[in-house]
Amino acid sequence: MSQSLFFSPRKMWVIAGSTVTQLVRMKVFYFLIPIALLFIGLQFVDGFWFNGPDMLLPEQELRAHKSWCLGTMMVFSSLFAIVATALLIPGDVEDRTLYSILCKPVPRLDYLVGKLLGVVVVIGVAVLVMDLLLVLTLHFRAEAKLAEMIELMKVMKVGPEEAEVVKRELAEHGSTWNLQAGVLAHFLRACVIAAVALLISTFSNSTIFTIATSVMVWVIGSFQSIARDGIFRSQEMGEELTWADRVLGTLISVVFPDFQLYEAVADGAARAQEIVMGDVGKLLGLTGLYVGIYVVISWFVFSDKEL
Amino acid sequence: MSDFAAVEVDGLVKDFKGSIRGKRVRAVDGVSLRIEPGEVYGLIGPNGSGKSTTMKAVLGLLKPTGGRCAVFGRDSSKVDSRSEVGFLPEAPYFYRHLSGRETVNFFGKLCGMRGRVLRDRVDDLLELVGLWEARDRRLRGYSKGMLQRVGLAQALVQDPSLVVLDEPTAGVDPAGSREIRDLIFGLKERGKTVFLCSHLLEQVQEVCDRVGIISGGRLVNEGSLDELLAVENEVELVLRDAPPELLEQIGALVRVTHGAEMVSAGRARTTLEGVFLRETGGES
Repeated sequence: MSQSLFFSPRKMWVIAGSTVTQLVRMKVFYFLIPIALLFIGLQFVDGFWFNGPDMLLPEQELRAHKSWCLGTMMVFSSLFAIVATALLIPGDVEDRTLYSILCKPVPRLDYLVGKLLGVVVVIGVAVLVMDLLLVLTLHFRAEAKLAEMIELMKVMKVGPEEAEVVKRELAEHGSTWNLQAGVLAHFLRACVIAAVALLISTFSNSTIFTIATSVMVWVIGSFQSIARDGIFRSQEMGEELTWADRVLGTLISVVFPDFQLYEAVADGAARAQEIVMGDVGKLLGLTGLYVGIYVVISWFVFSDKEL
Repeated sequence: MSDFAAVEVDGLVKDFKGSIRGKRVRAVDGVSLRIEPGEVYGLIGPNGSGKSTTMKAVLGLLKPTGGRCAVFGRDSSKVDSRSEVGFLPEAPYFYRHLSGRETVNFFGKLCGMRGRVLRDRVDDLLELVGLWEARDRRLRGYSKGMLQRVGLAQALVQDPSLVVLDEPTAGVDPAGSREIRDLIFGLKERGKTVFLCSHLLEQVQEVCDRVGIISGGRLVNEGSLDELLAVENEVELVLRDAPPELLEQIGALVRVTHGAEMVSAGRARTTLEGVFLRETGGES
């Protein structure tokens, strides 16, 4: 029988495995059904519906398809991260399952990290399924558009070189590795949000409070860069910042995660811009930093929590 | 390990924040107790007397305001003190989405067990607590008594040296209650230490070697059952098949003895539990 250490990766995985089982048996994956229907339904929505009566170019149509699908993935993965995390830990405290677990030689850090890992694994599977749906629907849509374009180019007697350029441009808007970088950005953002919800749930005793506060952090994190840009612009235009503005700005930057880079990578993926590997690396590093900080603070709060 | 007490509570004080701002409520006030290895110790007291708080402090779920608790010499606040402890909570607090087998398996893994050793242990325990037939049913379909049994199985999964039982027979029928009592005797025979909290004084009296009585957060009395229960100036005589003449002679002898008085005489009584078990065909 192993002696307890400062932390035990195996116990973390045991708790993570139990969390995955719990979420799966709560039938959380059922939320993928409406998403699948939405993704498939988007296949049949003409460009007309996206942008008024002016017909879109094929690549614009594909971009709109990607934007909708990536946006849906972002909303669902983030909301799922919040709700799943918020349900699990306060739930264990409320029904006192936590008593039974912590009476075994389980360090509190193992419990917290195990719960987070479990949620992250389930988010990962959900994002993977959504990604697969996106790739498939986008592939079929891109193929259909390409066939349409080939027909059109035949009629218009477009030269082979020009036709090749059109084909290449269209292919860039299909399923590419850049698109996967956008999917990864949404997954990593959901991981950060789950860590935020974990932190809040360590001092909150209510699921509703945890969900509401986490959603607030998510929204502020998504828009704080816009607010910051606004402040800088005011400064550049010679406006004097008040003391309160400065304190508030600094406080928001320190306390809330900044999702600007995640947004930039996802947006670039939707626009078929080439994603620099350095940005993906930064994204991974930033996620590691945020999750690490939130887990450490959660641990400090939770280690003193009396049950 | 045997050099240390199984449980040592030394001057335990625990204050909680009260509902009124700034005012603190003292739940446990200087409790000290020592449970030797292999002993069955019962802690009894009215509701709100500090039993559960003391138990939680021993299990490391609460930080004492003052004093200290140790399990086999290891500070209760340290995680490794729990490797030799099995705890059965009063109300069964387990994941309802797991089956009985999965539950015991999960807690076994948390204790660092795995592989065949764990599988065999889980099967043995489910057999022992009478849940073999229901092993693959999810806990949400279990009765209160069945949950108590699965709780007992998870408490024993790592074969702990100290078993802490908080109201172990709550919600269990008399036959099940007797099985749990036999199990406690079995643990004692195997040299395990049992720390028991119960409202059922009769049960405590039957299984415990020593008893502590807690009231208002203070340990007001403690000792072996013989010490606590003996009425110093009274003797009990139980006779079987005694003819009325013999009883008359004994009465006469008492009457002529200076200073002696017969306080009561009558038919010996069994317990309601005994009658219940006899009538329902349970183990007597």
